[in-house]
Amino acid sequence: MTLANLKAAASPADGERADSERADALLEIDSLSLSFGAVRALDGVSLTAAQGELLAVIGPNGAGKSSLFNCISGLYRPTAGVAKVAGRDVAALAPHQVAALGVARMFQNLALFDNLSVLDNLLVGRHHLWRAGFLRNLLFTRRARAEEIEHRAYAETIIEFLHLERFRWTPVAILPYGVRKRVELGRALCMQPRLLLLDEPTAGLNQEETEDMGRYILDIRDELGVTQILIEHELRFVMDLAERICVLDFGRQIALGTPAEVRRDPAVIEAYIGGAA
Amino acid sequence: MSAERPATLPGRLADRARRTPDRVALREKRLGLWQEVSWSEYRDHVASAARALWEVGVRPGDSVAILSDNRPEWLYADLGAQSIGARAVGVYQTNPPDDVAYVIQDSGSKVLFCEDQEQYDKAVAIAESTPGLERVVVFDPRGTQHGDDPRRSEWRAFLDSGRAQLADEPGWYEARLAELDPTQPAMVVYTSGTTGAPKGALISSANALGVLDPFVAELGIGPDDTVLSYLPLCHVAEKLFAVYLSLGAGVIVHFGESIETVQSDLREVSPTIFLGVPRIWEKMAAFIQVRMQYASWLKRRLYQFFARRGREIAIRRLEAGTGARWLDWLLWRIGDLVVYRPLQERLGLRRCWFPLSGAAPISRELLAWFHGLGVPICEGFGMTECGGASHYNPPGAPRLGTVGKPIPGVEQRLADDGELLLRGVNVFCGYLGRPDATAQAVDGDGWLHTGDIGTVDEDGYLRITGRKKEIIITAGGKNLSPEKIENALKASPYIKEAVAIGDGRPYIAALIQIEYDIVGDWATRQALPYTSFEDLSDKSEVRALIQGEVDRANQGLARVESVRRFVLLRKELHQDDGELTATQKVRRRAVLERYRDNIDEMYG
Repeated sequence: MTLANLKAAASPADGERADSERADALLEIDSLSLSFGAVRALDGVSLTAAQGELLAVIGPNGAGKSSLFNCISGLYRPTAGVAKVAGRDVAALAPHQVAALGVARMFQNLALFDNLSVLDNLLVGRHHLWRAGFLRNLLFTRRARAEEIEHRAYAETIIEFLHLERFRWTPVAILPYGVRKRVELGRALCMQPRLLLLDEPTAGLNQEETEDMGRYILDIRDELGVTQILIEHELRFVMDLAERICVLDFGRQIALGTPAEVRRDPAVIEAYIGGAA
Repeated sequence: MSAERPATLPGRLADRARRTPDRVALREKRLGLWQEVSWSEYRDHVASAARALWEVGVRPGDSVAILSDNRPEWLYADLGAQSIGARAVGVYQTNPPDDVAYVIQDSGSKVLFCEDQEQYDKAVAIAESTPGLERVVVFDPRGTQHGDDPRRSEWRAFLDSGRAQLADEPGWYEARLAELDPTQPAMVVYTSGTTGAPKGALISSANALGVLDPFVAELGIGPDDTVLSYLPLCHVAEKLFAVYLSLGAGVIVHFGESIETVQSDLREVSPTIFLGVPRIWEKMAAFIQVRMQYASWLKRRLYQFFARRGREIAIRRLEAGTGARWLDWLLWRIGDLVVYRPLQERLGLRRCWFPLSGAAPISRELLAWFHGLGVPICEGFGMTECGGASHYNPPGAPRLGTVGKPIPGVEQRLADDGELLLRGVNVFCGYLGRPDATAQAVDGDGWLHTGDIGTVDEDGYLRITGRKKEIIITAGGKNLSPEKIENALKASPYIKEAVAIGDGRPYIAALIQIEYDIVGDWATRQALPYTSFEDLSDKSEVRALIQGEVDRANQGLARVESVRRFVLLRKELHQDDGELTATQKVRRRAVLERYRDNIDEMYG
C-alpha cells in the first residue's frame, strides 16, 4: 500500500465526479438550525466545502461549533435545514451510515482505548471496513487472513505518515498527550475518510506539537486530498492554515471567507477578537 | 573465497551478486516489516543508479552528495557513484542549510541525493549559493511535488531510467567496473571540524579494503554476522560497518525504522557485531542504572550484587589473563541466568560477540561496568584519514583503557613529542583541494600525523591520552588531557556534556550540562517541581546532585586533575548554535568563548 493508494481511496472515482457539477461540493449545509428547548445552538448556518478544501470553523465557547460537527456526523438531528455529505442528507442516516459515507472525526476529548496499543487503536478505525464476518474470522479463513493483512498494511501507512513507529506497541494510556492526539488523528485517518472533521486538534498541545499538527493537516490535504473541516480556538493557527474560515457566534454564522476577509470583518472583530483588536 | 577478489568496493558487490545472488544482503524495516534485499537486487539497484548518474553527466572524478538518514538508497547512490569512478560525499542530515551548501560547494558536487521534504527544502534554500548543483534526486518525494525546480527528480524514476538504459546496453556496467582504479578516491568523508572548517578526506577502495581484509580474516567475520546501521553514514566508522563489512565479508546490514526507534530495532535485530559511540554506551548504561534504582527490592539487590561481582570477575580475568576460578565460574553462571542475560536481551546485545566502541574516547569505568554484565566492549581507534580504522582490541584479549593493537598492515610509531604516527595501505589519498593540509597530515615518508598523543605498551597496545592541540597546561606547569577529565565526569548518568578548563589557570574547572531526561526524572521522583532545562539546572538540589557526581569522578583522577569548581550550563549545547559539530562533538573553542563569563566566575 502506498500513498498513491491512500489518495485514490480519498477522492471519488472519475465516473462519480462526472455525475453532476455539484459533486465538487462534498459537504453542503443549508440554513441549518438546532435548538435544545429555548437554546438555539445553531441558527441558520449555511456553508459548503469543496473536494479537498481545508475549511475552518471558529468561534468563542458555546458558539455552536461542536453542535455543527454533531449534526454533520449524524449524532444530532437538526431542527431545521439540511446537511448533505456527497449529496446525501445525513439526518436520514444513522451515525454508522454517515461513517460509511466517508465521514471521520477526530474528537477533542480523544476517543481512544487506553489499554490498547497504538496499532490496535488504529485498527479499530478500520472496523467498519471489515467484510469477513464473525465466523470467517473465527476460522481465520484465507479471505479473513488476506483482509487482516490489508488492514494492517493500511494502519502501517498511517503509522509512517504520522511518525508513530516508536509507539506502535505502546498502550495509549502511557503516551504523552501530544502523541495521543496524533493517534486520535491516525484513528480517524484509518477510516479512509473523504471528509475529516477535526475538533480542536491543537487543544492542549505545546508550541512544537501545534506546529507539527499544522504540518500533518497540510499533508493530509496535499497528499491524501481529504476534505477537512477544522474547529479551532486558536485564531492564529487557523489564519495560517485554512483556505476559508467560517465564524460562528451564539449559533449564528457571522462571517465566511478567506482568512484576510475574515480578519477585516467588523462583526468578527466585535464578536471574536473583541474590542482590543 | 578465492585469492582473486576484486579490488574495488563495487567490484566486491558484483562478485557477491554473482556468487550468492539470492542470499540476503540488506534488511530494511518498512511499514512494520523487515523487508529483504538480496545481493542480486542490491547490485541491480547500484548498477541502475550508476547508469542514471552517467546519463545526467557524472563522470570519473566528479562528486555526488548524499543528504539523508541511513537507508538502502544511501548505499545504492554511494556505490552507484563509485561504480563510474565518481565520489560520493555524505552530508550530515542535521546540518543547517549553510553547512550543506559549504560541503556541496567545497566538493563541487553536481548531483545531490536527498531524503525527503525536509532535506529537499534545504536544497531549494541554497540554490543560489550552489550554482554547480545540476540535479537533486529525492528518495521520498512526499511533499516536494509543488514548485517548479527543474533540478528535481524522484528516485524511483531516476533508477528506472538507468535500469531501462542498462537493458539496452548489456555489458556497459561491467565495462565501467573494469575501468576502475582501486587507488583512486572513491569517497569523500568530511572531518567533523572541531577546530576549523571541515575538510574533505579522500578515501579509495584500496584504503577501505586494505584495513578490512586482514581484519575480517583475523576475526572470522562472515555472512552469518549481522549489523544494524544507525550511526550517520557520512561518518567513516559507519561506512566501515554498513559498507566495507557488508561487501567485504557478506555481513547482513539492517536499517531500522527511524532514529527514534534504535532501541527497539536493536532488540529485534540483535546484531552479532555492534559499533557504539561512547554516547550510545553511556545512554544504555544510564537507561539500565536508572531503571534499576526504581526496580523492585529483589531485582535491585540481585542487580547490585551481580553487577559488582561481574565487574570484579571480568577485571580479574582481563588482568590476570588466567583461567577462571571455579567460584567465579559458578557465580558468573548464576549471574548470567538472573541478571546478565535479561539485561543483554533488553539492550539487544545477547547475540553480540563483538561489541565495539570507537570514534571518541570512552571512560574506563563504563567499560568495566559493561564487561561485568557480560558485554565485553572492545575499544577501537581509527580516524577518517586512515580509512576509518587502524587499531582494535581483539575480542577475548581486550585491555581496558587502551584502543588495542594495529590492524595487520598498519605500522605505528610515536614521535618525540608523543604524537601517534601511522603508516600503511589505509592512509588516505589527501584532502580535497587542500594540498597544504595534506602535506601537514602526511609527511614525505608516508607517516600520517594523527594529532593524538599516546603511549604504546610492550605488547603493542596503544593508549591515547589526548589531542595534541587540546592539552591543558595549568598555571602550575602540569600537562593534562581535558578528555580524560571530561570522560570521568560523563561516566555519570546525570551528566551529558562536560568541558574541562584549566589552561594557564591554577586548577581545573568544568562546564557541565546535565542529562535533561534523567535529571528531570530524578527531580520528579524527588517531588521537585521544574519547568524547563534552565530552571532545572538552576535548582540547588540539582547542583548538590551533580556535586556528588563530580566528587565521585574526582576519586578516579589525580589531584591536579580533579575538578574544583563547576558551572551548570543553563541551555543545552547545540549544533545550530555552533557549539557542537555534526557528530555532536563539542567545539571547545566556541564553547570557551561563549561561556567566558561563567569561566571567569569560577576563577574569580
